[in-house]
Amino acid sequence: MQETELWLTKIFNDYLATPGNWFLSMAGLPHQARPWADFIVMQVLVMTILVLLFAMLRGRLSADQPGKLQHIFELIYEFVHGQTEDQMGNGGVKYLGYFGTIFLFILFSNLIGLIPGFEAPTMNPVVPLGCAVATFLYYNLVGIQANGAKYAAHFVGPFWWLAPLMVPIEIVSHLARPLSLTIRLFANMYAGEKVTMVFLSLTYFMIPAVFMGLHLFVALMQAYIFMLLTMIYVAGAMAHEH
Amino acid sequence: MTKKMMLLAVLGLVASPMLFAQDANVAAQSKAWAGIGAGIAMAIASGLCGLGQGRAVAGATEAMARNPGAIGAIRTMLILGLVLIESLALYTLVIVIRGSGLLG
Repeated sequence: MQETELWLTKIFNDYLATPGNWFLSMAGLPHQARPWADFIVMQVLVMTILVLLFAMLRGRLSADQPGKLQHIFELIYEFVHGQTEDQMGNGGVKYLGYFGTIFLFILFSNLIGLIPGFEAPTMNPVVPLGCAVATFLYYNLVGIQANGAKYAAHFVGPFWWLAPLMVPIEIVSHLARPLSLTIRLFANMYAGEKVTMVFLSLTYFMIPAVFMGLHLFVALMQAYIFMLLTMIYVAGAMAHEH
Repeated sequence: MTKKMMLLAVLGLVASPMLFAQDANVAAQSKAWAGIGAGIAMAIASGLCGLGQGRAVAGATEAMARNPGAIGAIRTMLILGLVLIESLALYTLVIVIRGSGLLG
């Protein structure tokens, strides 16, 4: 239950309560008076911003006279492409779409928390859990698609007779991956916000801004790390045993 | 371990229910310790995390000084290592946030 709402959530709840309840009933949950939660509205906002940005970019792509937006997105693309090639060589470029998406989504979600009046959806533990479960399913599907039934050979370990020992260990370590991704992203965002709030309650003068700067740096790093770990897991899943 | 230390240890183990027995208002007394426990846990976690990250940075800067050609790869490894070590301290922070009523 939320005591206070963001102004955007208030608008959503006042005018769009019926579609919100329709989504809830699709998930089997009972209708509520104010169905839109803060983090859902923020996620919808991030989604809309990303779609609008890419739509604007698509209209202005040009090989001869690239504009500023195209330069920025070329930088982002080169960055993600470079990281992909570092991790998994040339065969990984077909997975670039997912890496770029998860990087931009988490980056924008983290950064929108710095703007007053908005809240980072990644502050709620549910949102990083969603990203982590999506990554978990994605790298397993990539492993099955790349290796076929031999993907199960990854869990056995170096020797077949070690299987009764290795399979439980491997399963637990694979399950620990989405858990650690979730907690890392959630705890970093939540702690950054709480620390800024605590220092804001102590003094108004300059010190909270320092912690907000640290939170900005951490937000960028956490988005990069989530993408990097996704790449490492996908690289491990699609590795062909020699 | 000498025989005296063994005897003391066994006596301590046997006597511990009597030593740590609490009176009626157990719940109220235990709650007061949640804050202290949270503080100690977070201090230990942050301290050890600081040591680990210090070693990571030391190794990385020395490697970069020895081999300036590999600075890019070492930097990637350094950032990845630092974040993974940091996340261990963050697991403790999550327990502190959830367990004690300090941060809501």
